[in-house]
Amino acid sequence: MATENQDRFDRVDWDEIAASRGRDLSVNTLGMLAFAVPLALLGLYDWRLVDEREATFGAIGYDIDITSLEYLFVFTLLLFAFYLVLPLYQNPRRTKHYWTEFKRNRPAVVSLVWLAIVFVGGLIGPLLMNAPQQDILISHQPPVYLSVDQANVANCVGEIANGRCHGTWEYPLGTTNGGRDVLTGIVYGMTTTMQIAFIATTIVAVVGISVGTVSAYAGGWVDEVLMRITDVVLSFPTFLMFLLILYIYGAGIGMFILVFSGFAWGGTARYVRSKALSISEEEYIKACRISGANTYGVVRRHVVPNTASSIITQLTLLIPGFLLFEAQLAFLGIGDTEVPTWGQLISAGRSDLAFAPWIVLAPGIVLFLTILAFNFLGDALLDALNPEAQAETDQ
Amino acid sequence: MTPDTDPLLEVANLRTTFDTDGGELVAVDGIDFSIDAGETVCIVGESGSGKTVATESITRLVKSPPATVTGSVRFDGEDLLEASEERLREIRGYNIAHIFQNPQEAMNHCYSVGWQITEALTIHTDASQEEARAKAIDLLDRVGIANASSRFDDYPHEFSGGQKQRVMIAMALVGDPDLLIADEPTTALDVTVQGQILKLLDDLQEEFDMGILFVTHDLGVVAQIADRIVVMYAGKVMERGDVYDVFDRPAHPYTQQLLECLPGTSDSIGGIPGSLPSPTDPPDGCRFAPRCEHAVADCEAGGQPREVEVRPGQAVSCVYYQSGYDASVVEADTGDAETSRGVGDD
Amino acid sequence: MTEPLLSVRDLKKHYPIKKGLLNRQVGAARAVDGVSFDIAPGETLGLVGESGCGKSTVATSAIRLEEPTAGEVLFNGGDRRGATRNDDGTHPNDVTRFDKGELKAFRRDAQMIFQDPSSSFDPRMTVGATIAELLSIHGMTDRGRRRRIVEDLIERVDLSASDYDRYPHEFSGGQKQRLALARALVLDPDLIIADEPVSALDVSVKAEVLSLIDDLQAEFGLSLLFISHDMSVIREICDRVAVMYLGEIVELGPTEEVFHGPEHPYTEALLSSIPTPDPRATLDEIELTGTVPSPTDPPSGCRFHTRCHRVIQPEDMEMDQAEWRRLLTLRKRIESREVDVEQATENLALDDEPDDLSDEAIKSQLRSEFELEAPLDSATAEATLETALDRLVSGDADGAEEVLSSSFTTPCETTHPEFVDHDADHKSACLLHVDDRPDSRIGVENVPQ
Repeated sequence: MATENQDRFDRVDWDEIAASRGRDLSVNTLGMLAFAVPLALLGLYDWRLVDEREATFGAIGYDIDITSLEYLFVFTLLLFAFYLVLPLYQNPRRTKHYWTEFKRNRPAVVSLVWLAIVFVGGLIGPLLMNAPQQDILISHQPPVYLSVDQANVANCVGEIANGRCHGTWEYPLGTTNGGRDVLTGIVYGMTTTMQIAFIATTIVAVVGISVGTVSAYAGGWVDEVLMRITDVVLSFPTFLMFLLILYIYGAGIGMFILVFSGFAWGGTARYVRSKALSISEEEYIKACRISGANTYGVVRRHVVPNTASSIITQLTLLIPGFLLFEAQLAFLGIGDTEVPTWGQLISAGRSDLAFAPWIVLAPGIVLFLTILAFNFLGDALLDALNPEAQAETDQ
Repeated sequence: MTPDTDPLLEVANLRTTFDTDGGELVAVDGIDFSIDAGETVCIVGESGSGKTVATESITRLVKSPPATVTGSVRFDGEDLLEASEERLREIRGYNIAHIFQNPQEAMNHCYSVGWQITEALTIHTDASQEEARAKAIDLLDRVGIANASSRFDDYPHEFSGGQKQRVMIAMALVGDPDLLIADEPTTALDVTVQGQILKLLDDLQEEFDMGILFVTHDLGVVAQIADRIVVMYAGKVMERGDVYDVFDRPAHPYTQQLLECLPGTSDSIGGIPGSLPSPTDPPDGCRFAPRCEHAVADCEAGGQPREVEVRPGQAVSCVYYQSGYDASVVEADTGDAETSRGVGDD
Repeated sequence: MTEPLLSVRDLKKHYPIKKGLLNRQVGAARAVDGVSFDIAPGETLGLVGESGCGKSTVATSAIRLEEPTAGEVLFNGGDRRGATRNDDGTHPNDVTRFDKGELKAFRRDAQMIFQDPSSSFDPRMTVGATIAELLSIHGMTDRGRRRRIVEDLIERVDLSASDYDRYPHEFSGGQKQRLALARALVLDPDLIIADEPVSALDVSVKAEVLSLIDDLQAEFGLSLLFISHDMSVIREICDRVAVMYLGEIVELGPTEEVFHGPEHPYTEALLSSIPTPDPRATLDEIELTGTVPSPTDPPSGCRFHTRCHRVIQPEDMEMDQAEWRRLLTLRKRIESREVDVEQATENLALDDEPDDLSDEAIKSQLRSEFELEAPLDSATAEATLETALDRLVSGDADGAEEVLSSSFTTPCETTHPEFVDHDADHKSACLLHVDDRPDSRIGVENVPQ
């Protein structure tokens, strides 16, 4: 049979195709699988075969341990890479359009640059720098170009002039009262910040979208039950719940992310449900159903992409809340002390605020900028991804 | 018609542009027309031809910015484009009333229809509540809402599409307007209802002696209601004239092709190939030239050809009617359309 | 006769109306109430009616986008030809009984085009991807082949292959309908259901899309169920036409015959309302009084009798048909308590002689409202009307109703008309044809050219 004939719609032997039952996986799915499966195997190996105290790669001589939080983080990074970044690359025209729309919002572009720094810093910073070590001997070093009264510094590393201790490039942002380097602390804090941002949004997105679409399409009592659960989630005193868990079991940063994102998906679920219901009346959904697509296919290919822009905006605006909450908990002294976070740094410096303000200010400004950046980004995304949004907010 | 009386509405060189990211969008590009009291003028054109923007520019209903309206719109001797916003509010809905294509969207669903009519009445007159109510019921009755007094307190969703359009007309009549601008009022309606609404408008025009500016793309409707026609294409007027003249002897190739598109007029069905030019970057010369089967080089240079009066009251903007051209090439009686097409291709 | 491609038998779709806490069903909107028709291979059947008559529901139920309440939809396309009934009376080709696998195969053979070009494509997908998606749903895994097929098809609907990568908002309404046609064609169906495919389009574009549909249908031997409220479009494209009113088909026949000799008064009224593009044409339109009744409580007998201009008079009365129509309308309005004596009084008070508010004046006001100026042609009718109006004005609406409904009766409201065959293939459901009336042939003179 000539190929020309095969490539006409009325020359397709559908019986043959229907019988062949091949699977058609997209590049995105293949890529995702290629990375996620080894990761899952590694995780399984780590969990079942490696002793809890031993490092993951201890058997082959590397002393690198991967925590469960890091597994989750890498997994969410893969999701973002293959289902958010790669599609942007695959649709260059659409991406260009988004970018031109996004570019108009100057503060958002600056925010994006800042967040990129935080992201890259958080990702590779810990690989380049050693974790901040406690060293009483070098406590309270001032940042470079600044000086502090010699009396406040036990052992000044830089030069001492006129009775003041000057900062050095060795500790560009100074050190804490325990002698930890503030800059290193901030960079390590970036990692935690990114972990919170990515893992929490992934959990909220996955649970919110699943509950929303299932509720919209199942209808009946399933809808009723899911929506009542959503009501509960929305009105739940998450903070008290977290305190309770904290006092009974103790809670690390992982538990923090789980609890807070586990009670943050209510709004997303409601939004997705109403959007899914309204989209299902659109003719392209009917056309798709009439073509034999199953509900899962319709939801995955049409409903979710069409809610995506609003969800992305919503999630971007959710992240600052998590970061602030984490900082507040740390400041109150009930955060996870194992993990270096900005909140920990701020909390560490609060007693020395009078003579060593950099310990609080440096991470405080970074935290402030990051939260501001997420807010700007969310606003800009709302306009860039969703031209109708303007009209909706006007009403 | 008589030259010594001023027309009710006289629009001259009306130009409406929109500032967009893609540059200046010229929706209406210098059009003229006039309406006499008690007369129905139809603006005909495809969607995107600028006919709706043109009518909304008359009372400056277009949102400005981004829109800029220039030219002159003289209504009863007053230039509406110069008038203050306050004065315009007085005129809108009172001297000049609008009805729209989609009655669903033009009504407020939170209030009963009676409330909405009496509201319009109390804004424009100092009528008391009772007087306003009586007047509103009377209006509903006149536009053919059966049992008006008991339907007074009904909400818009309790009316069918046709009835809603009747209510809209009743609202428009509140101020006893001199001019009614009707923007595709029957397009969203069933054909059986369409006839009733057109008949109603016709009756009301006689009763109130209104001028009607009727916007539509449906030539069947035009034939039923119009006294005069203005054919618009891509922001420009292609042809204007008395309804009989334009239907009998359409002068512009665009008008001819529009008429041929009507079902049942020719043996073959087929539309006008191609699509409207971009409003941000209109072609040189005649706007219709890129789709015109008679187009020659001169059609695609310079500006839109100036209008030439082919017979009293009928004017056309086409190079073939200017001196030095053979107008018989495009002048078509439906019969010899085939032969003229052959000549035009040369 | 050859086997029809699609054969719809007594199709019903009722939407339950639920009320209260327990969602008890209190009634049903009978959107489609017993519709039967056949479509032969390669034929175009038009389905016409006003909005709300259930014509779109016929389409969505027949193609099982919604589950029909009752009835059979036999689809003999694909390789289903020549099937015979099972022993239990069911038919193997009954779409309403297809299981999941059969339904998916059926999806390849029957497709649909929708009305609204602006919502017919996913705004976030390229049109090419949207069309190719159908191929992939049905298991075509070869990405390159999918693209080649879709590009070829996009060219067939007079667009260019490079449009594959463009987004819906970059197309005009007409172009989107062409693409919708391409999507409907891509699985090579035998039947396409087109639900008002051109009613949202401009005249110039409308004609183009129609001729494209016509060409493609001829080229690929498609059958078409063409739904529209626009009689002139139906006339352009359909071989046969079915006229629907309030969930029922009232007339079915070859297009030319129906247009030249409508047998049902409703068809006649629909035809007369087509606007003619001739400024000299006089408006001799048949005005349908009232609005389409609610499908939750359709009128008894012939569903059209509440608006029919040819509603049958009782044996013992002889009067002007229009006057009889107005009498019946008055009766209906009194029955539903919609005649407002107070309003009539008020209107009277607003008029010239506010002093004269006697019962007589109110009665004549009411009569003029219903255009029933005294005296009526028929003396008996006149007497009955007077009695009824007397009672109404004195506040006894029940009494008025009783008087009117006992004498002003019509067989149309009691007897449901069955189909009567006229010529080959042409049938209508109207009592005028049942009783061997001499004037049974109607409407020929009213047809616009």
